[in-house]
Amino acid sequence: MPTAALRVAGLRKEYPGHDGRGTVVAVDGIDVEIAPGEIVAFLGPNGAGKTTTLDIVLGLVPATAGTVEVLGTSPRQAVTSGKVSAVLQTGGLLRDLRVEETVRAIAALHGAKSRVDDVMHRAGVTALAGRKVGQCSGGEQQRLRFALALLPNPQILVLDEPTAGMDAAARRDFWETMRAETHEGRTVVFATHYLEEAQAFAPRTVLIDHGKIRADRPTDELRNLVGDRVAAATVPPGTGEAAASALRAVQGVREVRVEGDRVIATGTGSDAAALELLTTLGGRDLEVSAPSLESAFFALTQNDQEGDR
Amino acid sequence: MNATYLGIDLRRQLRDVMNIAFVIGLPVVMYIVFGSTFGSGNQMAGHANVKFYVMTSMSVYAASVATTSSAGQAAIELLQGWGRQLGLTPMRPSGYVGTKVLVALVVAAGGVAAVFLAGVLTGARAERWWIWLVTGVIAWLLSGIFALYGLAIAQTFRSESSVGVASAGLVLLAFFGNLFVPLGGTILKVARFTPLYGYAALARWPSTRGEVVDTSGNSTQDPMWWLIVSWVAWAVIFALISVWAVRRGRRRQ
Repeated sequence: MPTAALRVAGLRKEYPGHDGRGTVVAVDGIDVEIAPGEIVAFLGPNGAGKTTTLDIVLGLVPATAGTVEVLGTSPRQAVTSGKVSAVLQTGGLLRDLRVEETVRAIAALHGAKSRVDDVMHRAGVTALAGRKVGQCSGGEQQRLRFALALLPNPQILVLDEPTAGMDAAARRDFWETMRAETHEGRTVVFATHYLEEAQAFAPRTVLIDHGKIRADRPTDELRNLVGDRVAAATVPPGTGEAAASALRAVQGVREVRVEGDRVIATGTGSDAAALELLTTLGGRDLEVSAPSLESAFFALTQNDQEGDR
Repeated sequence: MNATYLGIDLRRQLRDVMNIAFVIGLPVVMYIVFGSTFGSGNQMAGHANVKFYVMTSMSVYAASVATTSSAGQAAIELLQGWGRQLGLTPMRPSGYVGTKVLVALVVAAGGVAAVFLAGVLTGARAERWWIWLVTGVIAWLLSGIFALYGLAIAQTFRSESSVGVASAGLVLLAFFGNLFVPLGGTILKVARFTPLYGYAALARWPSTRGEVVDTSGNSTQDPMWWLIVSWVAWAVIFALISVWAVRRGRRRQ
C-alpha cells in the first residue's frame, strides 16, 4: 500500500475551559486519509475545529489523543524535512520587515536560499520586494505567506482559510496562482468556509462541524446535493403574490417567498425563474446567488442522517 | 542558530529609529547634560571622576532599555503569530531564544559603547584602564535581568504598547536606581530595594567600591553581597512573573 500523504486517526483536542474549570473540545474524533496528489477542502464554519486540526497536522499544537502521520512520519519531522508547509491564517508576519527580507529570513531557516527569487516570482511578490510587510494589503500579505510556504518545495501544502479577508479580485488571483502550483502533483489540503472555493478547487470535500466530520465525499456530489440557487427580483407594486404563484409553477422551483415587492425563488430551476421574473412578471434588480454554507450543511447533514438510518 | 536570520533580525532592530533613539541617543544626551551638571564633573568620585560616574549610570540605563525593548519585542512577535510561522521551519524554540538574546546583547553593547565613547570624548577619567573595561562589561552583561523584565511586562499586557509601558516604567526604576540624580534620606533607603539599584551599584563597584554619596554629601557604604542578592532576587521575581503570565496566556486560548 502506498504511503498516505496524510493519515489522521481518532484525533481529539481538548483545551482547558475559559474559567480554568472544565474542558473545551475543539476536535472530537476525526479520522481522515488523504492520498498523495489529492486536493481536499475542509469546509466548515468558524470554530468548527478546522484550524485546530491543521495545527496538529503541522505539529504546531500537540493532540490530546489520536495519531497523525504525514507521509509516514510525525508532523514535526515532516515540517523539519520540508515535506509539508502551510499558509497560515492572519498574523504570522513581522510588520516592520520588508517582503524580500521576510522571504530570505525564512529561506535561510529552511536552507533554501537558492529558491528565494523563484518563489517570489511564483507567488507574485517580486514587485513588492522592498516594501514593508505592514504596508502590504491583506491580499499581498497572503501572497507573501504563500511564497514562504513554497520555500521548502513541499509535497503537501496546507492552507488555512487562505483567502480570509481578501476581496473578490484578490481571492480570484490567489486561486489562479494556486492552480498553477497544483499542476506539479502537490497534495493540497485547505480549510475554508466558502462553499464556492471548495467547489471550484477541490475534487473532495470534508465537511467539519463541532469538531467532527459530518460528511466526506466528492465535491460534485455535494454540488448536486446543494444545487439550489436563489433568484430574487423586485416586481411592480401589488403584483408580489401573483408573481409568486406564477413562479411556483416553474419547474425546479422549490420555494418562493415574498418580502414586500421583492420575490425570492429558491431551487435548481433558478435560470427559468429568472427568465420568468424579467419577462412575464416585469421584474427588475434581478439577483441570482449561489447556495450558502448553511444550505450545504443542511443538505449534507440531512442526507447523511438519512443514510445512517 | 542561523547567521542569515540573525543578521536580518538585527538589521530590522537597528532600523527602528525610535528604539535606537531611546537606546543610544537619549542616554548619550543625558550623560552630556548630567555629566556637566554636578560640579565641574572632573571632581573625583572614588577611583574615577564624576563624569565617569555619570557615564556609568547612563550606560546602565542604555543597556537596560536595549534588553527591555528587545525582549519585549520578541514576546510581542510571538503573540502576533510569528512563532507559528517559525514553527513551520526547522528552527527550534531554543534557536529563537538564542537569536533574540544575541540581538539584545548586540544592541545593548551598542548603547554602552555609545555612552562610553561620549565619555572618552568629554573627559571621563578613571585611575586605571581596567576600571573602564570591567565597568563596561558589568553594565553590558548584567542588563540581562531587564530582558526578563521586558518579557514579564509584554506577557502580562499582551499588546504592542506594552513595550512602551516597559520603557516608561524603566525611567521610574532608573530614578530609584540612583541613575539620574543622587538620592538621599528615605528615598535612598527605599531605592535600595528597587530592581535597578543593585545592578547600577555593581556597575559602579570598580570605581566607587560600594560608596554612595547622597544629596547632602553624606557617604554610606553598600555591601557587595546586598547588591548581588538584589540582582539575583529581581531576576527571580521577573522570571516568575514571566512564567505566570505565559501560563495565564496559554489558558486563555
